[in-house]
Amino acid sequence: MPNHNSQSPIFSSPFFARFWRIAGSVSVRTKILGIVLALVLLLGVGITVQVRVVMQRALESWMEEQSVSVARDLAARATDFILVNDLFALHQLLDETQRNHPNVRYAFIADEEGHVLVHTFGDGFPEGLLTANSATAAEHHRLIRLETTEGGVWDTAVPIFEGRAGTARVGLSEAGMQAALATLTGQMLLTTVIVSAIGIAAATLLTWIVTRPILDLKRAATAVGHGDFSQHLIPWSGDEIGELAETFNVMTAELAHAEQERVERDQLRSQLLEKVITAQEDERRRIARELHDETGQSLTLLMVRLQMVNQRLDNQQCLLPDVQEQLDDARVLVAQTLDGVHNLAVELRPSVLDDLGLVAALHRYVKDYQARYPVEVDLVVVGLEERLPPAVETAAYRIVQESLTNIARHSQAQTVSILIEYRNGRVRAIIEDDGVGFDWARVKENGRLGLYGIRERAELLNGTLTIESAPGQGTSIFVEVPL
Amino acid sequence: MRYFFLLAAFLLLSACATPAAQAERIDLMELRPLPRPSTTAVLPLRVAVASIISPRGTMDSYEPLLAYLGEKLDRPVELVQRRTYGEVNDLLESGGVDLAFVCTSAYVMGERDFGMQLLAAPQVKGDTVYHSLLIVPADSMAAGMADLRGGVFAFTDPISTSGRNYPIALVQQLGETPGNFFRRTFYTYSHDDAIRAVANHVADGAAVDSLVYAFAIEREPELAQQTRIIHQSPAFGIPPVVTGPQIRPQLAAELQAILLEMDKDPAGRAALTAVGIDRFVVVADAIYDSVRELETTVSR
Repeated sequence: MPNHNSQSPIFSSPFFARFWRIAGSVSVRTKILGIVLALVLLLGVGITVQVRVVMQRALESWMEEQSVSVARDLAARATDFILVNDLFALHQLLDETQRNHPNVRYAFIADEEGHVLVHTFGDGFPEGLLTANSATAAEHHRLIRLETTEGGVWDTAVPIFEGRAGTARVGLSEAGMQAALATLTGQMLLTTVIVSAIGIAAATLLTWIVTRPILDLKRAATAVGHGDFSQHLIPWSGDEIGELAETFNVMTAELAHAEQERVERDQLRSQLLEKVITAQEDERRRIARELHDETGQSLTLLMVRLQMVNQRLDNQQCLLPDVQEQLDDARVLVAQTLDGVHNLAVELRPSVLDDLGLVAALHRYVKDYQARYPVEVDLVVVGLEERLPPAVETAAYRIVQESLTNIARHSQAQTVSILIEYRNGRVRAIIEDDGVGFDWARVKENGRLGLYGIRERAELLNGTLTIESAPGQGTSIFVEVPL
Repeated sequence: MRYFFLLAAFLLLSACATPAAQAERIDLMELRPLPRPSTTAVLPLRVAVASIISPRGTMDSYEPLLAYLGEKLDRPVELVQRRTYGEVNDLLESGGVDLAFVCTSAYVMGERDFGMQLLAAPQVKGDTVYHSLLIVPADSMAAGMADLRGGVFAFTDPISTSGRNYPIALVQQLGETPGNFFRRTFYTYSHDDAIRAVANHVADGAAVDSLVYAFAIEREPELAQQTRIIHQSPAFGIPPVVTGPQIRPQLAAELQAILLEMDKDPAGRAALTAVGIDRFVVVADAIYDSVRELETTVSR
């Protein structure tokens, strides 16, 4: 959307950017509330202003008419009283006029010479009022708006009996009109406020209707993100959000299917790996036994025969120094080969692992290792008085073996500390060295399979393997396997 | 958003605000005493016209006559009107007016009570008499006073000969009093309003001055169609022009001369036409004896 909007100068203006920062950061709930409120307020205030203006015009027009009609009426009814000089009746007439028209602020009658005959002010007469308006004999009336200390007054002058009997003046106060306008405005604004409140309630309901599926969707998406593919959304609405929910359901189902396939594949892979490892171990054991039993026996026999040949030669005093020498060489060669075969057999699968268990096998291996490499190994075993399951023993042995091989080959370490611990149904192995360490990321790139082998073995037993290392910091390998 | 609210607030404020105050504001609470009307240097001649016809009609009709008098006397003339004949009589007695056009019974009472002086009398169509006419609405079935029993009757003035005394005499002849005979009575305080009251069915009947009736139907012919005369009284002396007892005799003589000479002057003739009379003549007090007789009968 922003890319699309940026084409228009309005949308790319700083004002819009600021607006979008505010509008975009609030929740849908707030947006809907904002829309409803803005609409109601705009409508309410707009209509109030409009009605007020129209009403004011209508009321002013009505006041003008009323002012004129009251003055005309007064002039008509006053004529005879003026002509017969009945001032009391005139006074009564003014009083009556004022009583019958609450808007009438004042009324008075001036004779043809401009002297006030009667008026409604009681004691005295306001300055400037008499001269403020007048009507000639030919005029029907003359209406003006006077500014007074009490607000606007619509003053009408009407000539009485064509001006021969003077002038009638009536002033209508705007106060009542202003009060009515204020009441009207107040009422309309109050209505606006009430409608706003109703609007907020409606908008809240609307928001709930609109956002409920969205919130459901969000919750489900979060669950799916955490690997829970059992989420199924109820499509509440038939609108776009409803369609989205259905799409989401289809997606979740496909994801669940794919996940199941992946799990099955992983299981298959694990089984396969297990089989491979088992087969490998079996094969190694077989080869080791073969080497030990067959090849070792043959070589021992060969050794014995060579010994016998040598003795026979010694007994017959037949001095054949060349043969003697060659026999000795052969015997040394056979002895070396026997050692090599023995080492190979141990390397492949120490029978002590099967016969005496992990602890004995490790002690043997460490002893051999120290004899072979210039590395000091400190092996500590805690809580392993009983034999572990063969698979666990094999895995632990191989992990230690692989780790020590790696240390000998790459770490340039002086000392290695190995802790094997059985506690709370878990077997832990910690292998630490003081070598050069390595960068785990580069090791991954280089595709060194040894470490992966360790991990695979741990994971096949539902265990975990953690490697902590950095260049120059040495290496620590933590393995934990449940029983 | 902020700009929008500013705009809305501005609109509201501008709608509420009253237009900018004009330069001058009138304080309706700050009351000052009104200036006393300055008394004019020249004292006007004050002429009262009894409310035989309505005040507006009187003003319309008598304005040319008064203007003529003012011109002849070289002095402003003020028309004084009062609601009742009695008030005019009071003004004459106290010297509040100099000259007055009064009704016959007002003259009879004034002459008797405080010495009202007869100055002249109008002559209409060659005669110095008038009648009381009993009128009813045009669609009324009444043929005489007897048929107005139980109706609404309009009197003109409490001391009018043609408008009150004569119809009461008619009722008395029937052996009744007005209070019993009529369902309701009221005063219109002028003859033309009495005609209008009958024409508009406000009253079922009224008695009016024949001169006013003739004058009224001439001006408003539809009144002739809306009303009907069912009875005419014997002739009475015509309503006169009088002065009060306090008038200077010289002024009274001067006024009488002007009135009697009016018909010789074109301007005077025009003024006479406006009030519907031919000329002013001198009449004897005796022509009002029948009025005196009627008043005595009625007040008995």
